[in-house]
Amino acid sequence: MNITLPGSESIAAAMNAERIRMEVASQNIANARVTKTDNGEAYRRQQVVFEAVLQDSQNAIQSVQVARIEEDKSPFKRVFDPEHPDASADGYVEYPNVDVNREMVDLMMASRAYEANVAAMKFSRSMANESLSIGKS
Amino acid sequence: MEPITAGNNFMAQAMSLASKTAENPYQFSSDAAPDGLRFPDAAMMQQLGLKDLPQLPSSPQELGPMRATGEAGTGFSQMISSLASDVTAKGVQAASAVNSMMTDQSVPIHQAMIAIQESSVSFQLMVEVRNKLLESYQELMRMQV
Repeated sequence: MNITLPGSESIAAAMNAERIRMEVASQNIANARVTKTDNGEAYRRQQVVFEAVLQDSQNAIQSVQVARIEEDKSPFKRVFDPEHPDASADGYVEYPNVDVNREMVDLMMASRAYEANVAAMKFSRSMANESLSIGKS
Repeated sequence: MEPITAGNNFMAQAMSLASKTAENPYQFSSDAAPDGLRFPDAAMMQQLGLKDLPQLPSSPQELGPMRATGEAGTGFSQMISSLASDVTAKGVQAASAVNSMMTDQSVPIHQAMIAIQESSVSFQLMVEVRNKLLESYQELMRMQV
């Protein structure tokens, strides 16, 4: 537990996690039309999974971290496009299972969560300032 | 880094103030008070995160009688210098966080900002302690005998 600014450690951890979420959502948007990756199939949408981690066992304070980044197992979008270089024998191309609208919402959520953590940090700071004003006459 | 240099000025002031007061026969409120006014409280300072704090006397009796000849490094001057070194450490931490954010991007922005905030808050705390100390010293100097 941070004594000068209470909560700053879990806030920093949460902001880190949100940054990774932002990173992954951006990656999904960037790869939304990628039909071929290293394993031969189209790009699979990635999603972050958060987990609580005990940060201070004495006070049972938990902060957050990214547990893992998982693939979305939902099926690819199949589009009939025989001219495409990655088209299969029957003329269908498999496009990533990325929905750009959904990724935009994810980005907004990550950004808002980040803002919420900034607000928490500001409150922590203003609490510290209030404590310092006790001494002022 | 500006916060560091600014801190150095104040720390130098605080330290010289502390050493001056150690030389002064009228040391502190804790010395002058007959019935054990506990300022600064060791438990409070430890809660503020000063871990390597020297063992502070908890009462004026423990501190011993007022000394006419100042002994450097007793009670309060020790505490104020450990407070100053704590503030310096926080400042250095903040500076290195900003530095590594700017150079190799190994530290994210928010962590650098949090480090700066921490350093700023602990610096302000030190200034407040110094103000309070100066105030009590001046109060004593104004006292009519």
